[in-house]
This record gives sequence, C-alpha cells and structure tokens, in this order.
Amino acid sequence: MNAKLRDLFVTNIMAIVLGFVASGIMILFLNKNPIDAYYVLLTSILRDQYTFADIFVKATPLMFTALAFAFTYKANLYNIGAQGQFYIGAVIAVAGSLFFENILPSWLTLFVVLILTVLGAGIWGSFIGFVKARYNANEFLVSLMSTYVALAIMNYLLRTVLIEGKGEYPQSDPLNSSVWLPKIISGTRLHIGFVLAVLTCIGIWILLYKTPLGYRIRAVGYNAEAARMSGINSKKIYILAFFISGALAGAAGFTEVNGVQHMLVQGFNADIGTAGIGIAILANGNPIGIIFAAILFGALKVGGTIMGQMSNIPTSIIELMQGFVMVFVILAYFLRTWLDNNREKRKLQKAVLK
Amino acid sequence: METAFFELNKISKYFAKVIANKDVSFSIQSGEVLALLGENGAGKSTIMKILYGLYKLDEGKIFKEGKEIKIHSPKDAMGLGISMIQQHFSLVSSHTVTENMILGNVHGVIDKKLLREEIKKLTEFYGFNINPDAYIRDLAVGDQQKVEILKALYQKANLLIMDEPTAVLTPQESENLMKFVREFVAKGNSVIFITHKLKEVMSVADRIIVMRNGMVCGDLKKEETNELDLSKLMIGKDLILANRDLTQKMISKEVRLEIQNVTVQEEAEIPTLKDISLKLHKGEVLGVAGVSGNGQEELCEVISGAILPTSGKIFLDGEDITQKGIREKIDMGIGYVPADRSRDGMVMDMSIAENMILKSSFDKKWQKHGFIDKKILNQYTLKEIDEYSIKAPSPSVVIQDLSGGNQQKVILAREVDNGKKVIIFDQPTRGLDLGAVNHVHQVILNERVKGKSILLVSTELSEIFALSDRIAVLYKGEVQGVFHHDELTTEKIGLLMAGYQVGEES
Repeated sequence: MNAKLRDLFVTNIMAIVLGFVASGIMILFLNKNPIDAYYVLLTSILRDQYTFADIFVKATPLMFTALAFAFTYKANLYNIGAQGQFYIGAVIAVAGSLFFENILPSWLTLFVVLILTVLGAGIWGSFIGFVKARYNANEFLVSLMSTYVALAIMNYLLRTVLIEGKGEYPQSDPLNSSVWLPKIISGTRLHIGFVLAVLTCIGIWILLYKTPLGYRIRAVGYNAEAARMSGINSKKIYILAFFISGALAGAAGFTEVNGVQHMLVQGFNADIGTAGIGIAILANGNPIGIIFAAILFGALKVGGTIMGQMSNIPTSIIELMQGFVMVFVILAYFLRTWLDNNREKRKLQKAVLK
Repeated sequence: METAFFELNKISKYFAKVIANKDVSFSIQSGEVLALLGENGAGKSTIMKILYGLYKLDEGKIFKEGKEIKIHSPKDAMGLGISMIQQHFSLVSSHTVTENMILGNVHGVIDKKLLREEIKKLTEFYGFNINPDAYIRDLAVGDQQKVEILKALYQKANLLIMDEPTAVLTPQESENLMKFVREFVAKGNSVIFITHKLKEVMSVADRIIVMRNGMVCGDLKKEETNELDLSKLMIGKDLILANRDLTQKMISKEVRLEIQNVTVQEEAEIPTLKDISLKLHKGEVLGVAGVSGNGQEELCEVISGAILPTSGKIFLDGEDITQKGIREKIDMGIGYVPADRSRDGMVMDMSIAENMILKSSFDKKWQKHGFIDKKILNQYTLKEIDEYSIKAPSPSVVIQDLSGGNQQKVILAREVDNGKKVIIFDQPTRGLDLGAVNHVHQVILNERVKGKSILLVSTELSEIFALSDRIAVLYKGEVQGVFHHDELTTEKIGLLMAGYQVGEES
C-alpha cells in the first residue's frame, strides 16, 4: 500500500513535469525561452494573494463539471453535456436570485436558489437518462446535443425575459450584493463555493463507494446485464445517475453566477464542460483526485493568462500544456500498473525461493 | 537419446499475484502426439501461449533441435513452424475460407488462382471437405476448426498446438479430428493437445504431461498409465464422488413451485416455451435434461423473473407469482445460478464481498445508517469463503482474479443464501474442473436435504442422473415428459431429447 501511494505521487509529479518539458519544447518553436516563460508563470501565480486565490476560484466550477462527467462514467454512461447543464444552472441561479433577492433574507435566497438550481439542472440532465432508459437513445449524442439546446435557451432568455433593465446588451441585471456568495478571504475573489465544491467531491466519493445506491450505480456500470438479473432496475439507475450528474454541473452555474460573475453574460465560461472531462480523466474518475486535478487546471489557467500578457506567448500554449499533462498522467497510470505487477512478481519469486 | 524437436527448460511465468508456471520442463519429439493434461487453471494454456509467443516467459529457455531460440511473437513462432489453434477461433466470419487462410501473411498482389489450387491440394490431401470460397459464417463449428487447421498447414507448421479442440465438436467430428492428428504426425510432424478429458488423452496421445498448480507433476508414456492414475495425478488426491443416498426418499408431497401452462413467445416468433407445466416439491431435485437451446434458459428466467410468461401461471407455495419481477422473486426466496456466470451472475471488476450483495443490496441487513456496513459484510464473506473453501486471500479480492471454479463457488454461496425456498441451477458445472464439480454436486445435495426445492438444468446426462429425483426432458420448448430417475435409461432419455416419444420407433 505504501509503495503504491509512493508510486501514485512520484509518477503523477513526473507526468506533470514531463508535460511542462514537452510544452517547453513547443515554446522553443515560438523562439521564446521556456525557462523565462515558466519563471513568469510561477512568479505570476505567486505574486500576490489575489492571483493565488484565483486559482481556487477557477478550480471551483471545474470540480463540479468534472464530477458531472465522472459520476455518470461510473455507471458506464457518458455525459458530455455538462456545459449545457451548467448553463441551465446559471440561468436558474440568476433568475432565482433576481426574483428572490428583494423578497427573502439573503441567506435564505442563496439556499433556495441553490436548491432550485440543482433541481432544475438535475431534471434537465435526467431527461438524457430518460430517453436512454425509455427509447435506448445514445446518451453520448443526446447529451452532446442538449448543450446546444441549453445554449439557445439561455440566449433566448437573455434577449427576452432576463435582459437587463436598459435593454441594450443580451445580459442580465447585476445581482444585489446581498445575494453574492460570501468571500472566504477578503481582498480576493475566493468565495465559499470552493468549500462547497470540495465538500461535494468528498460527498460524491462517499455516495459512490459507501452507500448501497452508489454500489448499484457502479454495478450497473460494470455489468448492466448481471445487475438486471440481480433485480437492479438499470433504467432507474440511468435516470438517477443523469439527474445527479446534471445537478452537479448545475451547481457550477450557481457558484459562478452568485460567486464570481454576479450576473449572467451570454456564452460565458464556454470551455468548462470540456475541461471538466479532461480533469475527470486526469483523476481517473476518482472524486478525490478531481479536487487536485481541478486545482492544477485552475493554476494553469490563471498562470497562463498572465504569462500571455507578460511574455508575448499566446495563451493557447496553456491548453497545449493541459493536453500534454493529461497524456502523461494517463501514461503514468499504465506505468503504475506495470510497476505494481513487477513488484508482485518479485514477491512471488522470492516466496518460491524460500 | 536423440535431440528433441522442441524442448522447454525450466520455464516460469508470473502474472500479477499468481504463479502461472513454475520450472516447467518437457520436450516433444518429431512424430509424436503429446497430451497436456490438467484441471482448469493448472497452467496448460499459459505454457503453450509462451511457446506460441503470446506471453513472454519470465525465466527459462526454449530449444529447437538443440539450439536455443527466442520467441517474441506468434510471428516468430510461425517462422519456427509452430502453430496454435486457440479455443476461440481467430477467423474473420465475413471473409471466405481462402481470405482467412492468407490473413496475416499476404504481400503484394494476390494470385487468387494459384492460391485456390494450393488450398484445394491441401484439403484433398487431408480429406477435408471444405469449399475454399465458402464464407466462414456459413460453416459449422467443426468446419471452422478445419479452416484453422488448414491455416496452420498452409503456413507449413510442423508443430500444431490445439487448445481443447474437441470441446466444440460432436463425437463424429472429434473422431475425424483424431484421424487427422494421426495422419499428420505420421508424416514426422508433432501435435500438442491441451485437454482435461481423460478419454481423449488415452485414445490419441503417445505421451502425457500432467500439470497441476503451474507445475509438471507427471511425464508418462501412454502404455505406462491408465485413466485412474492420471486423474489422481491431475487432482492431487483421490476423488470422492458426491452420490445421492438413495435411501433418503424424503421428497414430501408438498408442492412448492408450480408452473401451469406457461408459454413464452416473442411477437411473431416461434415460442421458446410451449405450454409448460411442472411441479417442484419440497426437498426435491428436478432435473431438466435436453440438448442446449431447447428452452432451458427461458424456463430458468421465467421462474427467476427475468422474463414474464406470455401466458400461463406460476405459483410459489400456492401464491400467484406470475407477474412478479426479479427483485420480488429474490425477496421471496428464489435463488438462481445462471449458466453464463460472467455475463449474468457477477460483476467481474468488483470484489468478492461486493459480489455477495449483488442481489441483496436493498436489504437493510447490510446497512448501517444508510451506508454499507463493511464490517458485517466482510465477516459474512469470510464465513462463506471458509464454508465453500473458496481459494481467495481476502474478501476484497477482485473476483476477476479468481479461477472459474472459485467464481462459481462465490455465486453458489450467494444463491444458496438467497434461495431460501427454491434454487435454480443452470449448467452449474460447465467449464469447471473435477474437484469443483464435485463440490457443486455436494452443495446441491446438501440443500436438497435441507428441504429446499431445486431445479437442475444440465446438458450433462451423468449429472442429471446422479442428482435428480425426477427428470423432465425439454425439446423445442416443450416438456417431453417427467420421469422418476430410475424409469429412464441413457438410451431412452437420448431419444426423448431428440424429440421422439417413448415407445416410438426411431
């Protein structure tokens, strides 16, 4: 167990380092000095409290969308519609906040809005599970297309019902500061949503590995036929898994709207759905691993933006870096299995010699 | 002694957590049929896959005619004249025989005419009746195997390894195969036969290598041994056969499960079960005989609740359970050991403990404050591991890492517990070695004595005869009749299975 844990850390750190080396070579092709670039990257994230805290601000929605992908993945389902579920969540969060902010006390508004967001996005998500269960539709395609529908709904509402008072731009009115998510550290943007995200990761881990429901979800994921023969209603599991998955992605909408943007702008955070898939894969679907993977991606995002501003290196190099890191982390997974097998082999050889 | 054609010297192979082969040494001479005998998991297939280049050896050496050789891939092996016919054929079913023959070694332009000539010559030479232009999907299994053999011959193999070649063949086809083997070795070639059937070994082999636990435990000439000695070597101890104590005539008159005129029919298709009526008493083993695919699986599933009958009724202790689903039937005490255990019976990627609660995850007894109670579950699993002598170091071992026999024991342990009243066994010993078969039989008989009602579906007649109180014969979804076990002879049941009524002339 100890050797395994050591392998886990060593190989993953190696993978990240290799990811940086490989992207460094790419930077060389741009006729820039990678060492300088990384120096800027590192110093920029650490230069002040505000920037550093922003890593966790960026990591917050990523944790939710990564969980959304990972959760259905455990039931052998593919939810690649987290982006759309996030938008639905964001729409509900902004509408709910604007509606309740002058009616209910602020803490109650936040609570009610969170519940509504999670429920609404969950129902939106469970529709994918429903068509899968009822008509055996391919959930991959349905979830993919549902994102465009969600996007269209959001754009429509932003031009009609939710459009700002001035009626100029397709964006909502700003939220009253009373319904902003409270800050954890003043002078930064870091809000309580980060804590919520980490707790959710832990909660999802418990749900999957410690409860009968999570057990059934995994059983359906590994072998749906055996689960059916054992009296587990896999159709119910499909719908439920997509409900939870949608709810998780929707929660990102809540933390982004009430925690960071404080309003709804057309097409914001357009890449957190795909980034979530990357993070989930990076973490091998493990909810606890997602916490760390999301923070890594958050750091790359924050550092990359500043690096782009300061050293004339296109910010897209960060995406390249994310890609390289992901490839090496996946390779590290195979390396670990290989190391583990060899260890077992040596143990066996030794045992035989005695 | 002359130099061996091929020689394996102290070969060891370790898989994660298991020793597959340890210091395996034996040789094969030219013109010899070598049988590799052993139970499932004894390491027969592994050592052959090493010789064929599918696995890499961890220790040891391989020699051909005295010279050391390295085999890194099947391609290397074929270059040395080794060819292996796997248990599951590696043919492309949408291609023709000819196209399959050249698969993997074709370069440049294909000279179809020349090729067909060559194949024709080969088939005629060995008396194989195969059309080179037939599609694989249209061929019977026996013919597909011939194509595999032809492929090997076409590649000029002089050592042919066959992994359980007769498992898929009818007795007639097996005989033809044996004939071919004799002809093939008469030309100075060699054959290695992997098998666990003793009869086959005695009929075809010149020399026999017996393997147990990854090691060679016997290297015998056929003339020097007999079936009994071989079976002892193979199992490592004398086998005590489970036998029903015929004095225990304790079937009660009480009917537990009653099936009334049940028909199962998909729309616009031939019914898979036709107007079936059966009664299952307390403390009774009802054997269901029949050629596989005559409605056995549907019968089991209609009782377990996996499918609902199109018409007819099912009663358990007088209560109508016709429309009840799987989960309700589990709760009512109906256990089911399905024929395809890896598909229907367990989750390969989960641990033994997790597989134990597959059917009862809703049950409060595994829960504490809504969470799965690991402690209780592990205690329970340990108890079952002990009771069923499942070879596993701990309850958290992933079931995939167990041998087939031990996997079956896990399912058995679970279903015996689930089936408080009725247990359905569908082909419970298929693919198991002798020791495990015996264990399964013992379990069935024990549960019968406890008063449970057992439905035993099997295509092995010996199993049906050894365990059943009464025997029902299924043919094309219909019950040909239900008989007391001493009313039937093998001959009579054979006729019934083929669709004849008793008394009818064949």
